[in-house]
Amino acid sequence: MTGKEDKQAKAKDVQRGVWNPETIANIKFAAETGKHRIRGCGTPRKFPNFDDLLVLPAQLTRMSIDTYREDCKTQTVLGARYAKKPLIIETPIMISGMSYGAISKEAKTALAKATDIVGTSINNGEGGLLPEERANSYKQVVQILPGRIAFSLRNIQAADALEIISGIGAKPGLSGHLMGSKITREIAAFRQLPEGIDLHSHPRHGDIFGADDLCLKVSELRDVTDDQIPIFFKLAAGRVWEDVKIAVKAGVDGIVIDGAQGGTGAAPVIASNNLGIPALPALVQAVRSLEDMGVKEEVSLIISGGIKDGADVAKALALGADAVAIGTGALVAMGCVVCLRCHEGKCAFGIGTQDPELRKNLNIDEAAQRVANYIQAMTYEAVVLAKAAGKTKLQSMEREDLRSLTLEACAMTGIPLVGSNYVFGERFGFC
Amino acid sequence: MVRLDFQGMSSREVNKKLKEVIQSEREIEVVNPHSMHNFATALIGRATITVHGSTGFYTGGFLDGPALIVKGNTGWYTADNMSSGEIIIEMNTGSNAGPSMLGGTLLIKGNSGSRVGYGMKGGNLIVCGNVGRWLGQMTLGGRIIVFGEVGEGVGESVYNGVIHVLDQGVEEKLGGNVRVIPIEDQEKKEVEALFKKYGIERGVDDFRSVVPKIYGRHEYVLFKPTHKKTVLA
Repeated sequence: MTGKEDKQAKAKDVQRGVWNPETIANIKFAAETGKHRIRGCGTPRKFPNFDDLLVLPAQLTRMSIDTYREDCKTQTVLGARYAKKPLIIETPIMISGMSYGAISKEAKTALAKATDIVGTSINNGEGGLLPEERANSYKQVVQILPGRIAFSLRNIQAADALEIISGIGAKPGLSGHLMGSKITREIAAFRQLPEGIDLHSHPRHGDIFGADDLCLKVSELRDVTDDQIPIFFKLAAGRVWEDVKIAVKAGVDGIVIDGAQGGTGAAPVIASNNLGIPALPALVQAVRSLEDMGVKEEVSLIISGGIKDGADVAKALALGADAVAIGTGALVAMGCVVCLRCHEGKCAFGIGTQDPELRKNLNIDEAAQRVANYIQAMTYEAVVLAKAAGKTKLQSMEREDLRSLTLEACAMTGIPLVGSNYVFGERFGFC
Repeated sequence: MVRLDFQGMSSREVNKKLKEVIQSEREIEVVNPHSMHNFATALIGRATITVHGSTGFYTGGFLDGPALIVKGNTGWYTADNMSSGEIIIEMNTGSNAGPSMLGGTLLIKGNSGSRVGYGMKGGNLIVCGNVGRWLGQMTLGGRIIVFGEVGEGVGESVYNGVIHVLDQGVEEKLGGNVRVIPIEDQEKKEVEALFKKYGIERGVDDFRSVVPKIYGRHEYVLFKPTHKKTVLA
């Protein structure tokens, strides 16, 4: 073959920039349906994250702690600002809100059992508190969502902490979306919904139409709980600096920031890919906001969105978080392969499905042990790094223990670039 | 019967007092409520509390059992997440009355604002006067009855439940996914019983019902061009 065409790259071999297979598939879907695409799991986009930071080991400037023979405390106390009974967990890794509906009863029960094995908390998510979840959980966080679906005074009475939620990282500003394929007779009865139709719940609270309302709402909840349990406020990462200040003013005990990498059962692709900011800069901004108000030590800060291993935990704590929350990672520990098709309700692993046959594929006790192992391993990993950095408490991790690996992370966080004490991007990050 | 004067007390002190008194008293009279917010929050019991004056936002939130009679006005979010019992407002309420009510009855003798019955899950909500926009938005259950004029967007995204109205122009003010049908015979009996219980002297035959077109299903329209469309052959 000596022809001219042989010396040119074939069309299939050419990198076509923005016109990649996903773009082409999206356009074809739009052209055929006139609608936007829905997908599970949140965004697959690559964002700056905790991998862009490195931990500095203790050498001559400080002493490292013996990895195997000396202790590093992991117990975490959250929500002690006003609550008489703060949330005390054995590791700073919590399980974030995933609803019974988005995931199966078996998956919820397994997650709850895992929390009891490792001593952490689970969060019920939207659509009510499954009795099997509460019966098996170590500590129970109950969400207060705009839709208030299957939410009542009984839920509050069963909670170890409350979490008023304003948005999630996967689709901030949008309502919850449970696909009709998952609204079986059982879920319909539990949530008081018609069977088999999509649920688009509220994007805004029907009883919080502003910052002053939130103050009153928190006050109402304090009355309901008699100041006993913490009240957290969860917000999707956007205008973090301002949002945190409003939540603090409203009198919450802790703030949960969900970065754009956060997962979900179903969301418009365009929303997951383009709304909100990643967890890393969101955390920095939240810490700065709390410090600016002088309440960093009294208001707990929890970060979520793409947290995957113990290094993320150690670095998040170093930046100023008190704890992290995991969702997708816990599902992966159970068997999820992040196929991005949670919205179809046909999860072969029995996790993101309500199909009675598929649900049989998840062995609750095995799944619970795997999730517990994962959280334990993450805690080990965080401890390994913290001890190497010279800490006897995970919570003692500090900014000074970090360096940025990239200019981007350096400018975003104010953490000096590796090999220097120099920060690019004045007035950003912690500068 | 016990008479409580809440002059100069905070809502936290008031609620603490009410929770204490309701353990032994069945008739409680309240004076000087001074439009305080969060009045009678999460009150559980069987007493009747009569308030001489107005109360503020979140009146009767999470109420479970008592009868609360406010001889004045209330603010926004009256009967927030109420589980059971009765709340009777002799005058008007602010917007978002009865948000996420689960049960019991909220009777408003005057007018109310927008989003009455927002996300309601159960119980009865009666407004003798007018209401604003988005009546019964995204209710999942329960019954709303409005005697007066209703605003635009009635029943937007109702998944379940029913809204009974007298407003003759309601067809022009419907939200998405709802239709208007005559009140059913069984519903008439239930509404009559409700009216009788609360001393409302009014017939029920001329009420009509706003119900979901197809229960819950909703074709959302996110792009609404106003020009004359080209229709392809």
